[in-house]
Amino acid sequence: MSQSLRPYLQAVRSSLTAALCLSNFASQTAERHNVPEVEARTSPEVLLTPLTIARNENERVLIEPSINSIRISIKIKQADEIEHILVHKFTRFLTQRAESFFILRRKPIKGYDISFLITNFHTEEMLKHKLVDFIIQFMEEVDKEISEMKLFLNARARFVAESFLTPFD
Amino acid sequence: MSIIQQHTQATLSDAWRTINIDALTEDSSVNFDVSTLHPPLPEISEADARAINGQVRQLLRGGDAEGALRGCLEMPVYAGSEAAKETHLHTVIEVLQSIKASEMTPMLQRIYGQPGGSECLDVLMKYLYKGMGATSASSDGSGRTTPARAMTPQATGFSQVSQRPMAANESTGSAMSVLLSWHEKVVEVAGLGCIGRVMTDFRRV
Amino acid sequence: MAAPEVHHLFHHPIADHSFSADRQTLAIARDTQVELYGRVGNAFKLKDELKGHDKLVTSVDIAPNTGRIVTCSQDRNALVWEPSPTGYKPTLVLLRISRAATFVRWSPSEAKFAVGSGDRVIAICYFEEENDWWVSKHLKKPIRSTITSVAWHPNSVLLAAGSTDAHARVFSAFIKGTDQRPEPSPWGERLPFNTVCGEFLNNSAGWVHSVAFSPSGDALAFAAHDSSITVVYPSAPEQPPKAVISINTQLLPFMSLFWNGETEIIAAGYDCEAFRFQGGEQGWQLAGTLEKAKAGGRPGLGDEDREESALNMFKQMDLKGKVSKDDTMLKTVHQNTVTMLRPFEESGGRVTKFSSSGVDGRVVIWHT
Repeated sequence: MSQSLRPYLQAVRSSLTAALCLSNFASQTAERHNVPEVEARTSPEVLLTPLTIARNENERVLIEPSINSIRISIKIKQADEIEHILVHKFTRFLTQRAESFFILRRKPIKGYDISFLITNFHTEEMLKHKLVDFIIQFMEEVDKEISEMKLFLNARARFVAESFLTPFD
Repeated sequence: MSIIQQHTQATLSDAWRTINIDALTEDSSVNFDVSTLHPPLPEISEADARAINGQVRQLLRGGDAEGALRGCLEMPVYAGSEAAKETHLHTVIEVLQSIKASEMTPMLQRIYGQPGGSECLDVLMKYLYKGMGATSASSDGSGRTTPARAMTPQATGFSQVSQRPMAANESTGSAMSVLLSWHEKVVEVAGLGCIGRVMTDFRRV
Repeated sequence: MAAPEVHHLFHHPIADHSFSADRQTLAIARDTQVELYGRVGNAFKLKDELKGHDKLVTSVDIAPNTGRIVTCSQDRNALVWEPSPTGYKPTLVLLRISRAATFVRWSPSEAKFAVGSGDRVIAICYFEEENDWWVSKHLKKPIRSTITSVAWHPNSVLLAAGSTDAHARVFSAFIKGTDQRPEPSPWGERLPFNTVCGEFLNNSAGWVHSVAFSPSGDALAFAAHDSSITVVYPSAPEQPPKAVISINTQLLPFMSLFWNGETEIIAAGYDCEAFRFQGGEQGWQLAGTLEKAKAGGRPGLGDEDREESALNMFKQMDLKGKVSKDDTMLKTVHQNTVTMLRPFEESGGRVTKFSSSGVDGRVVIWHT
């Protein structure tokens, strides 16, 4: 792990642990409903100050806490156009399967690549520190995945180019 | 002629379906003005913020980094113009950048031990988050604006040489790593409760 | 300090729990129903289920003397369950609220109870003989948001309430005909219904999760979402309080607290363990945790837990192809947020045992 990645992930970890203090909260606007307040945004007093954790301009995490849910949005590093495309494809693949991926939000927040929505029902069922671990692990892995894919793509391109160019040798 | 055709263009659109009726009800929770919950905070003008900046710089030059840090944390700009808040954020970041990594923890522990110290660290935490939020959006610590988005269209992504837009971010990256290491140290000293208070506090910097 | 008594009832959040006066019956709010457990030897066995709500039951309270159980739920209703030879008989209470009921407590006199709600009112309910049902009067002003918890003053007239608008308030809930005129106290002298005797906000705000009067009733403590505990000492009616002491902690927020005598408060919450605060009018501080923190060899963990971790171990092996170090168990007795603390046994003005329940489906009886 590179030198600056560790404090970044550490900051995300501690912020998430502090933000994941959720309780069951019935809607104040709609009768007999129980909705994630961070999405509904109908009661300003149960929303908390959002936190941004950034490593640099291209890598940041936004945590939007509320009384019964938090939204975590991640901007994945994209150094060039290929990475941009790869990240787009990769996150699209995940979000299309959001159904079986309980905490994934189907659509990322504007300005971010992927968003998670954790409600009090998730923290009741799952261990909180494991949820945090999961997000951290995801952030670690996704960079690796993207750069691996890019390397593979470049290697493949070179190989194809070489094989096309052989007849002209 | 059917009834439908008598509709005007306005009624045909389904804009009415998206009207938020809660917003039109006066005593609905949507219209809850959170700022009425607590007494108003004293306003600090940009000139005041600059004055604090000057004093803090003087302390820094005199080698009293801890005094400088305490000084700017005891006078947070809660209410005031954007410019005043921005100025104070730069003051805080300037102080943070001038303190050596080895001095961080002992200094924080000293501050935490003093009366009112826990509150000071809460304020510091607020500025750390604000710093990270602001720097990633527009400008870095020195106030120089950097390109909002480094994703400029490149000739080809295959090129391995000329594609280091990250290099432009080196400065913001280093500013950020200062904030991140401070963040880690503050959590070590003041615990997770400190982050919780950044979220709950209505006094935003 | 003896080991805590752990009862792992099920894998589901416990919204609230309450013991009967003889401590032989335990009422648990589980999902849309209330379960009654009876003590059999060292364990609690399911005895009865009270079904009547159709949304999450948020709170349950057993009146110590009459044995009546009151429950409230997010379906906007409260029910009073009257014990009878054929089982418990529910009576619907006319709450007249249109949002979730969040919290209910019997007054010490047991003649009335208070129901907090998301409708920005507190319903004070009392029994009307003529009509033979429970009716309510609303405490409305100046509540701005959902009530998260209420607590009665020992005189059964004053009521403290915590709300998500970050305020803890003290009201008069005096009902003519039901209540005796109360003795004057530092909170107020003449106390008509809905007198606001105090309104408190701490510096960094945050929703108030729990409120409690001290045993004498002359101090109020509340826990807020900013990981703090605030203790208020009133001086005289209409006067600013003598002292307001806030303790900001390094921990995660507290969900519940109670007084142990006048000089000690025990609180627990998102850290999954209970903490002790000590002090008085001059100041308060955190005195430490009630759990003996040591890894491994924890007291009171049954076979079920071991089974659970074995299951997790295989799951880990299956998912990741490796046996990671077992970090699926927290080092605390409760494995998730503690949501409610209640005194269990008292002697000589001190709480000697208290019970806690949490999101992990455990009820634990602790020695203080």
